[in-house]
Amino acid sequence: MKKSDVVVIGGGLSGLFAAAVAAQNGKKVTVLSYGAGSLTIGGGIVDIMGYADGNVPFATPIEGVKNAPEGHPYTFIGEDTVKEAVEAFKKMASAEGYAYQGSLDEMQWIPTAVGTLKPTALVPRTMDVAKMEAAKKLVVVDLAGLKDFSAPMAAKNLGLLFPNKTIETVKVPELEKSGRDMTAFDTARLLDRADIRTMFAAALKSKAGKDVCFIVPPILGTHASYVAFDDITKQVGAPLVECAAVAPSVTGIRLRELMLSILRKQGVVFIEKANVCGNIVENGKVVAVTTKDFGRQRTYRADEFVLASGGFYGAGITADQENVKEVVFDLPIVAPARVEDWTNAKMFSDAKQPFAMIGIAVNEQLQPVDAEGAVIYPNVRVVGRNLAGYDFCFEKSGNGVALTSAYKAASLIVKGGKA
Amino acid sequence: MEKVTAIVIGGGATGVGILRDLAMRGVDAMLIEQRDLAHGTSSRYHGLLHSGARYAVKDAEAGRECIEENTILRRIGRHCVEATEGFFVRTVEDPEDFEAKWVEGCKNCGISAVQISVEEALRLEPNLSPKIKAVYRVPDAAIDGFRMVWQNVASARRYGAKVRTYTEVVRINSTNGQVTGVTVRDYFTGQEYQIACDFVISAVGSWAGELAAKAGLQVGVQPDKGTLIAFNHRIASRVINRLHQASDGDIFVPHGSITILGTTSMAADKADDTEPSVEEVKKLLNIGRVLFENIDDYRILRAFTGTRPLYSADPNAKGRGASRGFVTLDHAHDGLKGFISIVGGKFTTYRLMAEKAVDMVCEYLGNKTPCRTAEEDIVEDPSEALMGRAKKFFPVHGASLAASRLGAEGLSRVVDKLEKQPSSRQLVCECENVTLAEVEEAAADPTSFTLSDVRRKTRMGMGTCQGAFCTYRTVGTMVANDLTNGQDSKELLKDFIEARWKGIRHVLWGNAIRETELTRGIYEGTLNVNGAMKK
Ligand SMILES: Cc1cc2nc3c(=O)[nH]c(=O)nc-3n(C[C@H](O)[C@H](O)[C@H](O)COP(=O)(O)OP(=O)(O)OC[C@H]3O[C@@H](n4cnc5c(N)ncnc54)[C@H](O)[C@@H]3O)c2cc1C
Ligand SMILES: Cc1cc2nc3c(=O)[nH]c(=O)nc-3n(C[C@H](O)[C@H](O)[C@H](O)COP(=O)(O)OP(=O)(O)OC[C@H]3O[C@@H](n4cnc5c(N)ncnc54)[C@H](O)[C@@H]3O)c2cc1C
Repeated sequence: MKKSDVVVIGGGLSGLFAAAVAAQNGKKVTVLSYGAGSLTIGGGIVDIMGYADGNVPFATPIEGVKNAPEGHPYTFIGEDTVKEAVEAFKKMASAEGYAYQGSLDEMQWIPTAVGTLKPTALVPRTMDVAKMEAAKKLVVVDLAGLKDFSAPMAAKNLGLLFPNKTIETVKVPELEKSGRDMTAFDTARLLDRADIRTMFAAALKSKAGKDVCFIVPPILGTHASYVAFDDITKQVGAPLVECAAVAPSVTGIRLRELMLSILRKQGVVFIEKANVCGNIVENGKVVAVTTKDFGRQRTYRADEFVLASGGFYGAGITADQENVKEVVFDLPIVAPARVEDWTNAKMFSDAKQPFAMIGIAVNEQLQPVDAEGAVIYPNVRVVGRNLAGYDFCFEKSGNGVALTSAYKAASLIVKGGKA
Repeated sequence: MEKVTAIVIGGGATGVGILRDLAMRGVDAMLIEQRDLAHGTSSRYHGLLHSGARYAVKDAEAGRECIEENTILRRIGRHCVEATEGFFVRTVEDPEDFEAKWVEGCKNCGISAVQISVEEALRLEPNLSPKIKAVYRVPDAAIDGFRMVWQNVASARRYGAKVRTYTEVVRINSTNGQVTGVTVRDYFTGQEYQIACDFVISAVGSWAGELAAKAGLQVGVQPDKGTLIAFNHRIASRVINRLHQASDGDIFVPHGSITILGTTSMAADKADDTEPSVEEVKKLLNIGRVLFENIDDYRILRAFTGTRPLYSADPNAKGRGASRGFVTLDHAHDGLKGFISIVGGKFTTYRLMAEKAVDMVCEYLGNKTPCRTAEEDIVEDPSEALMGRAKKFFPVHGASLAASRLGAEGLSRVVDKLEKQPSSRQLVCECENVTLAEVEEAAADPTSFTLSDVRRKTRMGMGTCQGAFCTYRTVGTMVANDLTNGQDSKELLKDFIEARWKGIRHVLWGNAIRETELTRGIYEGTLNVNGAMKK
């Protein structure tokens, strides 16, 4: 096995973005990934920081970054790096023809499939909330056979939030007689086809008009491009806004396609179904990680390693009755000692959940450290959900921490370790 | 003012059993339950239809009662019973000398206990520890508490009985030492009103002491807390007991595709003290490991807790049938005529308890109609024609599951709808195969007020996904079909998930923690059901 400059463990957003940034700066990168991570179930929208403790919304994402509490990843990623990371991501996305909009200076309150709004920062053009805000009438699209979207519920709750707008639903017949329930992804795949788009647009047209905005589930095409979206918008003659919805996440699938396309162009080696389970250390530095598939062990050597294995959901961190463990390097985990103290009595407690903050402690260089603050492996950087000290669900900060920590790790590696 | 002859308080197994028996004997009766049916211990228990073998040594009378009722319920309640049979297994840790005493005890009680070889037992139950020493087969079975309760109510209704859920009895009213009725409070509106009656039968399980106090009386019931763990596997196909002096954590009961291990035992302050603890869960696993060495490989779905209504007869109560598993107290002896409490007992003996309580009421009424609850099936079998129609919509095994969930009448309404309205075939819960038609059927029932009520009736959201996906789907369906009763859909979503959370947070390791990140990612991260909205 040839040696790389950088091996990234994990193919979620943080791993893919770290790989892209390092590769763009001339590094030879290999990504080892077991699965798609949370990208295809929840990704696609980049939250940066929505709420302060006490369930108080921040006015802008950057205000959230500036006021991040002690121990939060943003406090050691740093405001400047956050800004650079956001720019780098936006530049990459637009170069690929799938631009993201939004900035650190404005909160985007996007509609959800429940009919609530959620504060986020960067969104694809299919979620242009300005269009929704400007409209006098919102028409929620009720597509027959689509199982994880309730137009009546979304409409009802949006009505509570926008008492001055008219809220309606429009029934759209099944796009294809399939005889089974369709997921948002199945539907988006149909709308990749021009003939189906025409049918779909025709069904909306009767409700289109001045000051109307359609609220649709995320179904406007599966690809990281605006072809389907622009085509439908043009045919309908009124704006459409996709909302954040239940998994599978079509917007996340598009973002993954975008990232993988960039990696391909940069010549990044992307190895799927690679379960990293061990490492080789020489003289206090990691020199390789090992995978085991079908009983066969492989060794991947590199100078630098990025651990982007996604915490509990990604399975980079596991817990049994007695122990919490990081699976590749056996790094120490910061967690309350007793399982009793991991949770709040209510799941929706309007407060951070202790278990959600469980992760790996790092220094400002994103290197893993022990309880005394001593660096464990100088050439390992930890990114994304693996990091301790933040609750992405409560704060609305998941992909924000993923992108910005990944950018920082990659930049440090590119610059040879100095920030 | 509304008036009935008899009011039964408590919608657990005992209360519904009494209601059905009263109605079948022609007594005009109403059941009042503070929350949903089976809100109490009757849905927070092990679900073992005891053969009686567990009591054979210590309490022969309880053993005999169990085997008799076990035989009856397998017949009249077969839609709620899975006749799994049971094993009593002596492990390396169990003293050998108990075995002979136990065999003798079973014989005395009339409980069949047939020894089989360890090899044969391991062939039948390959997950059992190979170190086991001796095995006996007994007629234990699994019983679905909620379904049993619900079907008793459906049967009682056919005989004219009334049921009022989400209605709490706050006072027993009387004049000159004679019950005149009850004052109740509507859970949703908080409004209080009165209902008149001649008899009040208290069947409130662990709440018996609290309720008696509302009539100025004392009943010595000590709630005793027991915790159980549900695994997402059928670890064994039979009920597995330890062959030793009955003790904590020594029984596994299979229910469909899951297995329940329990139980612990400790005094509780209140009847609704139903929070499990991590410590109890770990204790159960440690004990369970003796029977199933690979227990840690099985995924835990949830932990839950119920309270046993342990009766301790105070000295003054002597001579009124103490020392039994259960007692029927006629409070005429305490100066209040028309008020009866039934306390103690087990789920297995609920029918017998009901019979004794109703005998007491009928004695006063001069009603000579004999009890027939041991003879008549609780629900009818669906006809073959109906099952044929159902099989077009349900997967093979699903049709009989649906039949037992819904009973013949319910199934017939659901199948009608599935035939006529293709849109009602939509699957609301994929894990448990629940269609929109069934959700609508459950939601239309007069005892359904909240989403959780519908969940319990249909079992949706109880499967592997722990509600991650079907919660949204179900609430959406409820809103679309105007079934939310005016409740805020965001609150419904939260309630549904909170109900599952209670069972998961004490087993938050392995897959449970991963799934929790998923569920939370969806509802809090993506859908923001609880975040403050922008000003
Ligand atoms: C349901 C849900 C909805 C969400 N919605 C949003 C949202 O709307 N906006 C937002 O900003 N954030 C959202 N998030 C949060 C966000 O998705 C994550 O915080 C972020 O993407 C984490 O990225 P990651 O790369 O650290 O981890 P992951 O995406 O989990 O990726 C981890 C990767 O590591 C791999 N891996 C793990 N262990 C190994 C191993 N041993 N060997 C090889 N590979 C391994 C996994 O297979 C996976 O590819 C959501 C999360 C969830 C769960
Ligand atoms: C952990 C555990 C495991 C068990 N396992 C088994 C087993 O495997 N097999 C077996 O046979 N038995 C078992 N039991 C015992 C059995 O579950 C109980 O004996 C039985 O369910 C009690 O039924 P009940 O109807 O008397 O009480 P409950 O089911 O508790 O019903 C009482 C009802 O009264 C209602 N109520 C209370 N106060 C009021 C009021 N003021 N107004 C209106 N309503 C009121 C409550 O809400 C409740 O629904 C177990 C018990 C426990 C705790």
